[in-house]
Amino acid sequence: MTLREINSKMVEATVVPGQRLFSQRGAMLAYKGEVSFTPNIQGGQGGLMSMIGRRVAGEATPLMTVEGSGTVFFGHGGHHVQVINLSGDTLYVEADRLLAFEGTLQQGTMFMGSQGGVMGMVRGQVTGQGLFTTTLKGHGAVAVMAHGGVFEVPITPQRPVHVDPQAYVAHHGDVRNKLSTALGWRDMVGRGSGEAFQLELSGNGAVYVQASEEKL
Amino acid sequence: MSGYGTAGPVVHDPMSLPVDDNVNSYTFCVELKGSQWFLQKGKMIAYYGTIEFNGVGHGRLDRLVRTSFHSPLHASDWVVAEGSGKMLLADRAFDVNSYDLDDGNLTIRSGNLLAFQPSLALKQSIVPGFLTLIGTGKFVAASNGPVVFMEPPIRVDPQALVGWADCPSPCHHYDHGYMTGVMGGLRAMTGLGGASGEEHQFEFVGAGTVLLQSTETLMAEQATGVVPHEPGVPGGAGVSGSHGPQAGAPRLPGQLGDLQRRFGL
Amino acid sequence: MNAGTKFRPLWQIVRGWRGGGVRTRLRRYLHTVAMFRLQGSKVLAVDMTGDAVKAKNGSMVAYDGQMAFKKLTGGGEGLRGMVTRRLTGEQMTVMEVRGQGTCWFADRASEINLVRLQGEKLFVESSNLLATDGGLRTGTTFTGLRGASQGNGLFTTTVEGHGQAAILSDGPAVVLRVAPQYPLIVDPGAYVAHQGNVRQSFQSGVTFRTLLGEGGGEAFQIRFEGDGLVYVQPSERNTIAGDV
Repeated sequence: MTLREINSKMVEATVVPGQRLFSQRGAMLAYKGEVSFTPNIQGGQGGLMSMIGRRVAGEATPLMTVEGSGTVFFGHGGHHVQVINLSGDTLYVEADRLLAFEGTLQQGTMFMGSQGGVMGMVRGQVTGQGLFTTTLKGHGAVAVMAHGGVFEVPITPQRPVHVDPQAYVAHHGDVRNKLSTALGWRDMVGRGSGEAFQLELSGNGAVYVQASEEKL
Repeated sequence: MSGYGTAGPVVHDPMSLPVDDNVNSYTFCVELKGSQWFLQKGKMIAYYGTIEFNGVGHGRLDRLVRTSFHSPLHASDWVVAEGSGKMLLADRAFDVNSYDLDDGNLTIRSGNLLAFQPSLALKQSIVPGFLTLIGTGKFVAASNGPVVFMEPPIRVDPQALVGWADCPSPCHHYDHGYMTGVMGGLRAMTGLGGASGEEHQFEFVGAGTVLLQSTETLMAEQATGVVPHEPGVPGGAGVSGSHGPQAGAPRLPGQLGDLQRRFGL
Repeated sequence: MNAGTKFRPLWQIVRGWRGGGVRTRLRRYLHTVAMFRLQGSKVLAVDMTGDAVKAKNGSMVAYDGQMAFKKLTGGGEGLRGMVTRRLTGEQMTVMEVRGQGTCWFADRASEINLVRLQGEKLFVESSNLLATDGGLRTGTTFTGLRGASQGNGLFTTTVEGHGQAAILSDGPAVVLRVAPQYPLIVDPGAYVAHQGNVRQSFQSGVTFRTLLGEGGGEAFQIRFEGDGLVYVQPSERNTIAGDV
C-alpha cells in the first residue's frame, strides 16, 4: 500500500520510480531518500480543459507532484487524516481536504449541478466549494483531511443518510445527493442560512462525516 | 459507573494515578515526594496532596535555578513545583509524552517543552527557538499528534520538527529544482505560496534521533531568551546590524527569519 | 481510551445484568431506549426508536431514518427556567431531537465523555453539555466564584435523574475521585464538570510569586472536598484567574 496512516495525523507514503503521487503543497512533513516536489499548475492530469475547469471551479488548491525514490511523510494543520482505498469506484471530495493521492487515480472536477439538478447547484454553495467537487476514480489510495477525524456511514437504498453540509467530508459509490431539510431544523438554525439544509445522500455507498461542524 | 459491562470512564484517585507516566495520550501525571520539577506556567491542570508552586526567580530557589536553569531571560514563564502528591500536566489537548535521558542530550522546540526534572540542565540551543536538555532525568513535552521518531539521514519541514536527540547535525537544505523553475521564479518574485512549500527543509545527518510531529498549528513559541550580542552568535541581534530586529515582515512559523535571509534567500 | 464505548444490543445488556436492582433499571430503559454510544471519541451516536433526546443546538452532524428537530428555549425548563436563564445570563440553546434511526452529534471535534447518572446530580458548564437522554432533567444552579473566574457567569447547568449524559471536553477528560482523605485542587480552566456530594472552595493566591514580582501575578485554583467525581480536561480555557 502506498499510503499508510502512521498515526491519526500523519501518513507515510512510499515513493518508487515511475509511480508518482500528488499532494497538497506544503503538506510534506519529512522525507528520506531522493524525492522531488514539483509544483503543479494544472492540478495533475487532464490538460488544458481540466485547468480551465479548475479555474472556473475556483478549486485552486495547489497541488504538487511527488516523484523519486524514498519515503515521504504528510500531514497538514494538525488535522486528522484518513486513508481511503479506492478499487474502481469514484470518490467525491472537496479539493482542500485532499492531503495526498496516488497518481494512478484519475482526477477530475465535477459540476455538482449535473447530478443533483438545481438542488445540486445550491449544494455547492452550501458547502462553500462553488459548484464543483473533485472526483478521484480508479484504483489507489487517497488521504483525506478532516477536523477531528471522520466516521463512515453506509448508505443503502433503504436508508438514505442526511449530513450537515459543514460536516460532510467525502462520499463514494453510486450515490445521489440533494438538499433537504429535516422537520423543525430550519426553524431552529434560522431560515435563509446555508445551515438550514442537510445533504441527503441516497443509493449505494458510504459517506465520510467529520466530528465537527467547522470547515477546514 | 460500572454500567452494563460496558465500563464507564476510568475513575482515578491518588493511588491509582500512574507515577511519572501518562494517564492518557494528553495528560501526564508527575509524582512528587519532597522532590521538585520545573513546569512551564499554565500546564498544571489538577493535583492531589500538598504542592507549592513558586516562580523561578523566587529567592529560595536560587541554587536550584543556578544548577539546572540556564535560560534566565524567560524565567518568568517557568515555575518550580515542590511538595508531595501527584499532579497532572497537560497542554491544550496536545499529545504529551515523557522522555528519559540517561547521560544524554536532546534539543527541543521551546514551545513544546512542558516540564523537566531538575537533574537535567536546560540550556538555549545554538539554533534559535530551541532548548537543549542535558544530563540524566525525565522531561515532558507536547506535540501536535503523536511524536514520530526517525533516524537520519532525513529532511524535515521546519514546522514538523519537534527536536532531535544525541548529535545528528542539523542544517538547512534548499531544493534548487523547485526554486529555479518557471513557478519557482514566479514564486521568488511574487513571494506567493512560498511560506510552507517544500523548497526548504532542515536536513539531519549523523547518528541520533529526529522527532517529528504533524503540524502547522505550532505550539505558541516560547521565548528562549535573548542571546548575547556577540559576533558569531546566531540570532544575536547585534549581527544583523542596521537591519534591526526585522520589524515589518511577520515571521512565519517554523522559519528562521533573518537567519534565512542571511543564508541568501 | 474509550474501552467501554462499544455498542451492545439490548439483549446482551439484559443478559449481562444479574445484580440486584437491575430489573427496575431495565424496565426504565425499555421505556426510554435512546442508546448513547461513542463512535470514536468525538462523535456521539444515539439510536432512537421514537423517543427524544436533548442536545446542544446545531450539534447534529448526520442522521439516518426520520428525525424532527425542535428548538427549546431556556433549556426546556418552561417559563421558570426561561426567566432563570434570562436572569443568569447563561446561554444554553438546546434542541430536542425526536425520531427513529441513528443521529450523530459532534461539536468542533471536542472529546465526548459519557456519564451515567443514577439519581445523583451532575454539575457541568453549559457549553460542555452535548446531550442528555429523556430520563434526565436539566436546570441551573449558582456556583459562586468559580464561574466568575471563568467568565462564564455565576451559574452552572445541573443535570439530574436516571440516564445518560454526554459531556464535551477539549481532549479526553480525566475523571478524578474526591474523598474526605484526599481533596483535589483543580485549575479553573481545566474544570469541566463534577458530580456527587462535593464542596468547592476557591483557593486564591496560592504560592505563585517571583522575587522580581514579574509575570503571572496571582494564581487561583478550585479546591474540591467531600465525596464525588471531578472531570478535568487536558487543556485550559483562558481564565482571568491567572495560571500555574
